[in-house]
Amino acid sequence: MGVSIRVLFFLLCCSNILAPFCFAEKTQTWSGHVEGETFLLVTEVESHELVRMSYAERQRAEPGPAVGHSSNPKICRVKNSQEVSGASDPWEDEAEEIDSISDPLEPMNRAFFQFNDKLYFWVLKPVATGYNTVVPQLARVCIRNFFSNLVMPIRAVSCLLQGKFEGLGIELVRFVVNTSAGFLGFQDVAKQALNFPVQDEDLGQVFAFYGIGPGFYLDLPFLGPYSLRSAVGWGGGLFVNPLNYMVDFWPNVGIRTFDIVNNTSLRIGDYEAMKEAALDPYVAMRDAYYQYRLNLIEK
Amino acid sequence: MTKEIRMTRRRLIMVPFFFFMTLVISGTSIAGGPTDDVRKTTDKLIAIVSDPSMKSADRAAERARRIRKAVDERFDWREMSKRTLARYWKKRTDQEKEEFIDLFGKLLERTYLDKVEGYSGEKVLYVAEKIDGNYGIVVVKIVTKKDTEIQVKYKLKKKGGEWLVYDISIEGVSLINNYRKQFNSIITRSSYEDLIKKLREKVEGE
Repeated sequence: MGVSIRVLFFLLCCSNILAPFCFAEKTQTWSGHVEGETFLLVTEVESHELVRMSYAERQRAEPGPAVGHSSNPKICRVKNSQEVSGASDPWEDEAEEIDSISDPLEPMNRAFFQFNDKLYFWVLKPVATGYNTVVPQLARVCIRNFFSNLVMPIRAVSCLLQGKFEGLGIELVRFVVNTSAGFLGFQDVAKQALNFPVQDEDLGQVFAFYGIGPGFYLDLPFLGPYSLRSAVGWGGGLFVNPLNYMVDFWPNVGIRTFDIVNNTSLRIGDYEAMKEAALDPYVAMRDAYYQYRLNLIEK
Repeated sequence: MTKEIRMTRRRLIMVPFFFFMTLVISGTSIAGGPTDDVRKTTDKLIAIVSDPSMKSADRAAERARRIRKAVDERFDWREMSKRTLARYWKKRTDQEKEEFIDLFGKLLERTYLDKVEGYSGEKVLYVAEKIDGNYGIVVVKIVTKKDTEIQVKYKLKKKGGEWLVYDISIEGVSLINNYRKQFNSIITRSSYEDLIKKLREKVEGE
């Protein structure tokens, strides 16, 4: 219950900050120069909006020469990058997008990124590695399934609020099947036997569905990358999380920490690989998070 | 215009359409679509990685060389470099372009190599294919032993009868987009020269 009060306070605090960012202007227009030739570039800052806006609507919403499949090669398509050549690529708008999540708190975020980095290498990884050697992988997968089954209400509510009734049905059937036949959710029989995969929906995606923008990027200590929108969604998710109504604050934190360690033990190496491949790991992480969320929202 | 004339006209339009469609269909089945090309390379890589004679430590270099060769055949490093540098690409001289392709190619190769080296019997399922002219998308699902599914999307461009990969998206995260943002951030903060320096340090680091 303690968590709920804290979250409520957090939400109240956020609602003041939220308003100007989340309901900000959705489109932004600018012009620039590429090798001496002026072009107009219309970009969707809130590109998730594209998902729900039909093409025709877009044309209405953004009049002007830069809209749509222009025959003029000097004019870029909506959401295109500065690159003018190669306009024949049918998926160029996807491949060349330059829009990104805004990051006004970058210095703070970079500091927290460093903090999380150290937290991972000095605490989380050693603990998860130790845990790894003691608990066999099969058991760890089962534990992951158990926690995933437990937070079904978050996914079900998120499906419902987005009108994804098929997803809602799948989640409810999954819960019944996995809780009974799957031994309290330790086994994901719904996926194995019925081919009902887990629906990756959360409240952040619900907010996006209703046209609320991502706000700005946050790299929170202990929690990692978030957009303001999904951070609020995460906070709201705590209300729907049955764990909050079952146990007190500190046991709750303990269980969550265990869940994190268990999940980390199944993903050791992923973060290292990301960091190894990146020239600027902070930017790489921010963009990967942004692209990943965009992909989830579009689904 | 009477209805009849309109109908005939429509039929006349349809004739070349069907002719064209049969050409397209037969053309793709003969030349092999992007999925076939991705599959060819994937199968080749899996064969190298799971070859027991290649597992020993003294053959690691040989193994890496063969993986590199298979990857080189399928990946279009120039296209990738061009797309990653985006607006900065045009400002480069030919020599600079070659240098960048070399360094960036090596970085990608290493990243991809690490992923391939970590292969341990994951299942690769070919889920979907989309073709639009000379561009294609192949969607692959990788099922890991930890029972998670990873969606990988290859973007390909047809060059001389071969489909070449110019971007890979893992769970919706495009590799090229990700590098573009990093490089853009580095160039705007300091300079292109600094980017090359950082790239070289990364590639020659180990």
